[in-house]
Amino acid sequence: MAPFIPEGLVNPSLLLFFALVLGIGFGYILEQAGFSSSRKLAGLFYGYDFVVLKVFFTAGITAMTGLLFFSFLGWVDMSLVYINPTFLWSAIIGGLIMGGGFIMGGFCPGTSLVGAVIGKVDAMVFIGGMFIGMFIFGHFYGTFEPLYTGSFLGHIQIFETLGIGKDWFALMLATVALIAFAVTQMIEDKVNKVSPSVISQRPSYRMPALMLIGFLVLFVFLPAVRSSGFDETPVDQLNYEWHAGMAKVTSERVVFDIMNERNDVVYIDLRQSEQYQRFSLPGAINMNPEEVLDRKYRAFFRRDSREKVFFSDGTSVPTQVWTIARRAGISHIYILEGGLNGMFEMLFTDKPEEDNNNYMYGFSKRFAKEARQYFREGGAVKPAPDKQAPVHTIIEVQVPVASGGC
Amino acid sequence: MNPYLAGFLLGLVLMASYLIAGRGLGASGAAKSLLVTSVAKAAPEYAEKSTFYEEYFVSDTSPMQSFLVYMALGVLIGGFFSGAMSGRMALKVDRGPGIGTRTRLAFALAGGLLFGLGAQFGRGCTSGAALSGMAVLSTGGIITMMAIFGSGYALAWFFRKLWI
Repeated sequence: MAPFIPEGLVNPSLLLFFALVLGIGFGYILEQAGFSSSRKLAGLFYGYDFVVLKVFFTAGITAMTGLLFFSFLGWVDMSLVYINPTFLWSAIIGGLIMGGGFIMGGFCPGTSLVGAVIGKVDAMVFIGGMFIGMFIFGHFYGTFEPLYTGSFLGHIQIFETLGIGKDWFALMLATVALIAFAVTQMIEDKVNKVSPSVISQRPSYRMPALMLIGFLVLFVFLPAVRSSGFDETPVDQLNYEWHAGMAKVTSERVVFDIMNERNDVVYIDLRQSEQYQRFSLPGAINMNPEEVLDRKYRAFFRRDSREKVFFSDGTSVPTQVWTIARRAGISHIYILEGGLNGMFEMLFTDKPEEDNNNYMYGFSKRFAKEARQYFREGGAVKPAPDKQAPVHTIIEVQVPVASGGC
Repeated sequence: MNPYLAGFLLGLVLMASYLIAGRGLGASGAAKSLLVTSVAKAAPEYAEKSTFYEEYFVSDTSPMQSFLVYMALGVLIGGFFSGAMSGRMALKVDRGPGIGTRTRLAFALAGGLLFGLGAQFGRGCTSGAALSGMAVLSTGGIITMMAIFGSGYALAWFFRKLWI
């Protein structure tokens, strides 16, 4: 499921390569659309050329509709997608200043890059100006900071702000854009005194426009999808699994697996990291109980097919974590029965001699003896062969961070 | 290219960016990284005093090794190929009929300055805040977009001599 890099499906080190490829597409289209000319861009504000409006809104609506569609089908997890944060006054003032820059300079940063590279001197000067503007911001950052970081409303989305469904908002925005395309075309023709014969020869956009609207109307009638990305486990199922003992693994089992270096199971230490560093089970990873559902572990829980066993000193924290994680739809998770305390007791406490010639009893006693030897004499800490080297940390997914610039 | 087709293709590129990297397009971020890196290299004492340059000192990797810097490099390459293929490569100054080259360049500098400043407050420019913000329906992005075009129209009358 997309987004591929934050989900861990594509190696994060390829990020810069993809950035370059996407940039090439971006630059090529901007130049082909005629955005390397400041006169064409400024036409938007005087009615002689609305190409900016057409390209800009078509692009925005295409991407918006596509993302809505993909997230409806469950192909993209929007919770991993970077939503620009809203710092209300900073956004308004920044926009107002940029509008002034647009009308005076005739470019915006992206278009100035394509203008400059094909030899537009005004674009190169514009870029020079941009550096000065940013330097001014940096120099007076102390003064600007309260405005820049103030009135923070979170990573909110417009439909939340307006209190309507996102499908309704998308339909509304697309309708407004289509009307704007038609009206601005009329204005453009009037300003440029285009003859009716030329106008009648233009291609008709009725089909794509109708398709877009039809598509978005369909969204309004489709049921809303869960945005969590998880399918919650029903409570009954949870109850059943717990009482049927399907959630627990015994310490004997864990010890046996460790001794046999079984590699399709991973132990998750829920204790504090200091305790974890002092001692843990071989190959165990450390996790903060509160972060189990965090997005950084999502790929691990969803895609790593190994069995996962939570443990702590006792069982209260692992039980809690198991319940929450299982409820959130994570499967193949277990807890260590009795916790580490129970395991040590099994390992290091001699069982009272029972007057019992039970075959099972003898077996379990022999096992405990072997295990004790193994753990005491360092067999448990002996380095595993390379291919199954213990995992100490999970590669944390880099979530895109909020930053200035665009 | 037909503007609607260009818009559709640009929309697909933008969507691809979200599907691959989980983030949108951007152009001004690269300029900031370049500025931060050069100032921090040229005048470290000056840069260390400001939070604005923090990125350079705090992070392990150089600000130049970032998504937006590589994207801007791509924009330059893509723009170059497009211009070369369509025969638009030429050193020139685009200006309105009523002004000279010098006036045009002075206003281009002033416009760039304002855009550079505004893009910091807006946390992105027309691509990073307005276009990408619209694609993910970010409130802040849409507000910035309306402010950019609103103030452009409001000021258009005063600067009409530059363009018409």
